[in-house]
This record gives sequence, C-alpha cells and structure tokens, in this order.
Amino acid sequence: MTIDNDSDFKTALDELSRAGQRLVAARFVENVLALNQDAKVTAAVSAAKRTDITEDELAAAVQSARKASVDSFTQCGHECDWSKQAGHFVAEAALACIKPAEPGGNAAWDAAMHARMARTCKSIAAGVGTDNDEAAAQYGILAEFMNK
Amino acid sequence: MTASLEKGISVLKEVIDAPIASYFNSCVHCGMCAEACLFYTETGDPKYTPIYKLEPLRRVYRQEYTLLGRLAKLFGLSKPVTDEELEAWKPLVYDSCTMCGRCSLVCPVGNDLVYMVRKLREGMAVSGHAPDGLVGASTRAVEIGSPMGVRLPAVQAQMKHVHADTGIEIPLDVEGAEYMVLMSSMEIINFPEYLGAIARIMKQAGKSWTLCSDAFEATNSGIQIGVSDIAKVLVQRIVDGAEKLKVKTVISPECGHAYTALRWEGPNLIGRPYTFEVLHILEVLDGFRTQGLLKTKGYEEARLTFHDPCQLVRRGGVIEQPRNLLRMVARDFVEMNDAGQMNWCCGGGGGVSAVDEAVPLRLQAFKIKKAQLEETGAKTLVTACANCRIVIEEGLEHYQMNIPVVGVTETLASHLVEGD
Repeated sequence: MTIDNDSDFKTALDELSRAGQRLVAARFVENVLALNQDAKVTAAVSAAKRTDITEDELAAAVQSARKASVDSFTQCGHECDWSKQAGHFVAEAALACIKPAEPGGNAAWDAAMHARMARTCKSIAAGVGTDNDEAAAQYGILAEFMNK
Repeated sequence: MTASLEKGISVLKEVIDAPIASYFNSCVHCGMCAEACLFYTETGDPKYTPIYKLEPLRRVYRQEYTLLGRLAKLFGLSKPVTDEELEAWKPLVYDSCTMCGRCSLVCPVGNDLVYMVRKLREGMAVSGHAPDGLVGASTRAVEIGSPMGVRLPAVQAQMKHVHADTGIEIPLDVEGAEYMVLMSSMEIINFPEYLGAIARIMKQAGKSWTLCSDAFEATNSGIQIGVSDIAKVLVQRIVDGAEKLKVKTVISPECGHAYTALRWEGPNLIGRPYTFEVLHILEVLDGFRTQGLLKTKGYEEARLTFHDPCQLVRRGGVIEQPRNLLRMVARDFVEMNDAGQMNWCCGGGGGVSAVDEAVPLRLQAFKIKKAQLEETGAKTLVTACANCRIVIEEGLEHYQMNIPVVGVTETLASHLVEGD
C-alpha cells in the first residue's frame, strides 16, 4: 500500500480500529520524540503502545502527559522559543494518543497533526523555513504499519 | 531626580484629567474595591486594595492639582514621589492588577479604577518601572509585529497546517473580503485549532474572509504596559491592513484585552472613527447563529461551564453570546457562581501572565477560580481567551484538578454538520 497525500492518509487512519489508531499514533510521536526531553512524554508513548494497559494506568498516563503539555506552553507575552514549542507539540501529540476517544475523533490523525506542528516549530527554530518532510514520513509509517 | 523619573512624573501630571480628579475626590474609602479584587480576597493583604495601588498617582494629583497639596509641597510638608517608591509599587501596579475591572464595577461612586491604573502605568513605564517581561513584549510587538516574536512565515506555516487538517485553503490578503480575521500570537503558537475552527465555520456560513499579512496580530501590549504611543502604533497597523483590504468587519479573536484595545480604545488612540466594524469572534458567531447559518449535530457529553474573560464581559458586554452558542452543543451547561459580569478573573490578564515574578501570587489568586469550578462539578471548562485558557490550565495543574480547558470557537466547530 502506498500513501502519498493527506486525503488517503486520513481515510486509512479512519479505517483503523481505536487500538490500531493508538498504536500508529504512538509511532508518529516516536518519529518526533527527540524534540522533547520530558520523561512523562516518553512514558505516555509507552502507555499508548501497551495493549494490556488498565484504565487506571491510562488515566495516570493522561494526567502525566497533560502536565507535560501545560509545563511546555509558551506563556502569553513571552518570546517564543521555537525549540521548546516543538517539545510542547510533541507532548500534545503524546496526549492525543492516550486521551479518551471523542465522538468522531481520530487519535492518530490528531497525533499526526501535532507531530507536524512540532517538526514545523523545530524547522523555524533551526532557521530553515517552515517546510519539512514530516507528512511524508508519516505516510511511510502508516503504510509500513498497514502492510505488516 | 533622575531624567527618567522626571519624565515619568511629567507623564503622570499629563494623564491626570477631569475623570481622575473626580475619582480621587469622590472616593469614600469604603473598601468595596478590596473585596472585589482577587489578589486581596485570596491573600488578605491590604496592600492589594485597588485604590491603594494608585497611591503614587494620588500623591501627584494632590501635590500638583489641589490647593492644600500644593501648599504642603511648597512648605516641604509632603514628600515628592521617588524612584524607590515607584519601584516598590511595581508589583502592585503590574503583578497584582489584571485590569479585570471588577473593582470599577462595584465602586459605589462609579470610580473607574482600571482607567486610573492604566494611566498610572503610563508614568511607571516612562520612568523605567515597567516589568521587563512587558517591556520585551512591547518591543517585539512594535519591531516584529507580535509580542511573542511571531513572524509571517510562522502564520503561513499554520495556514498550511490548517489546510492539511481541514482541507480548507486559508485566504490571505483577499481584497474586498467581508471579514478580516485577527489572531493572537497565543493562537498562532499554541492553539492552531482556533484558525481551523474559523475556517470550517466560515465555510459553513458561506462568508468571505481573509487574514492580512501586514496585520495578523490582534493583541496590544501598549495597552498592557501603559504606553499610548505603542498602543496607537499597534492599532494603526490593523486599521491600515483593514482599510487596504477594504473589509467590512474586523474580527477580534478569543482574547480579552485585544478586543478592548481595538474596539473601545482604538478610535481614540488614532484620533478618528474606523471605516469598518470591529466585532469579537463570539459576537460574529452568535450573529451567524441568529441568522441560521450554523448547523450543528450532537452534544458534549461532559458537564460544561464557561469562564467569562474580564475584558469581554465587563468592558465589552459580551455576556449572552457564548452562552447562546454553548447551549447549541451542550445539554449540561452550568454556570459558576458570580458568572457573567461579576465573574472572577483567571489572574493572568492585563499583562500579568507576561511577568515571571508574578507567578506565585497568580497561583495563589487562582484559588478563587478553583473554588468556583469545584462548586459546579464541571468536567470541562470553556472560555474565549487564549491567555485565560493557559493561565487556567496552569492553575488547574498546580492544584491537581483534571479539567480540560477549550475555546468556544473550536467547541462549536467540532459539532458542525459538514457535508462532502
């Protein structure tokens, strides 16, 4: 299976089960995980990959990931540090993986979008513009996941 | 007296106008403003009484504009305001005043204490006693166009992101569009979902709209720090953008002070009426609702409550609009005590959230919001200001309360009936 555009990407993600969405979401986050140094985020990704996780463990992971997200917001009026902001969006992506499902929502799509924002922020921080290959990388990750 | 202090005192003399003179003369020392201020109620420290925060301004008023005060000054019976005093007052004028306007609302003689704080900040800023955080934000706003250092490429990146997420192309610099949408840097940096929600709602409503490359930022740190010249530059940038694009309406985003600055203060700052209308996004959305342009499906499952941003509710009168909108998508909508025009501030308005030194006090003051929320049993909090949103999220995190905070616009957009 080959995916090379967002329309096919989204359609394929919608066809996954909730468990499948969570697993592939975790892979999207892992692709940008180097942009965040918070152990809580790593723990959230690990939680997303566990199929035997209990509701209590999941709730604790959600709370922990939310803290990582809140801790990394850029405050109003503060100069944005785009590297740190990249880390914030990684935390948001990790949170998207594990938070309770919303009607009509898709955890994997949300995680993918946050991961792209993270990569864009990192590109701005590096002074190399805003274009990057994160979307293409995600197409590849999803194709590999579905072909297994 | 240092040159900067001299300039600051000179500014304070200039800003004391008839309203301020009458306010000082009509204060009956009842203390009601104290009970209306969250920094006083949550600390019990009398120094946070709003009228007391204005003491340097009152002294300048007495010494310069009252007979007894002038005589006292002449005979050395009253001390002039010093640099040390202004520095000592900095935490009272900036860290512990969000300019929320609750004190102005309860004052039995009608004193607008927020107006007075803003004027005092003018003198504080000129004399070099504004917090570094606000000085930096104001400098970036003038030089870069955003208090948080956001440049157009970052906005364009978000436009591309929203396009990928929603499939909707974000219009930029479209002449003759009906609406020009402004954003706060907070929304550009932290909340890309806001722009996506706007795109989806505008599409459903069938309205033409645009962002403006010269004026995408709505916030006005000149108002917060208290420098009218900066405030004017920032308003003029938006006016120029709107007039260049010939739009009918400029939409202020989910931000409190940006709305006040642009809608109420702006025309006075630039010295003429606008050629376009200014509305808050909630006013626009509620207008769409009454015109039948919003079609939604489903309801939020969790109990919701709404935090009124101070500048919208007390200085803008935007009270019913968010409630009308939330009732479209929430069956279990509950009000906090003191909701609406008497709502308690999040603690981070008026530039307070840009002041690092103010964080401990801000979190202490948040206890009142915590209590309000606990009484409702709400599982989700909705608000209409990106700054309130982050300040509340921090407060909830600090007090270990697991309540998601979301914006009205994105909540509404998540329930839109969208055809293929």
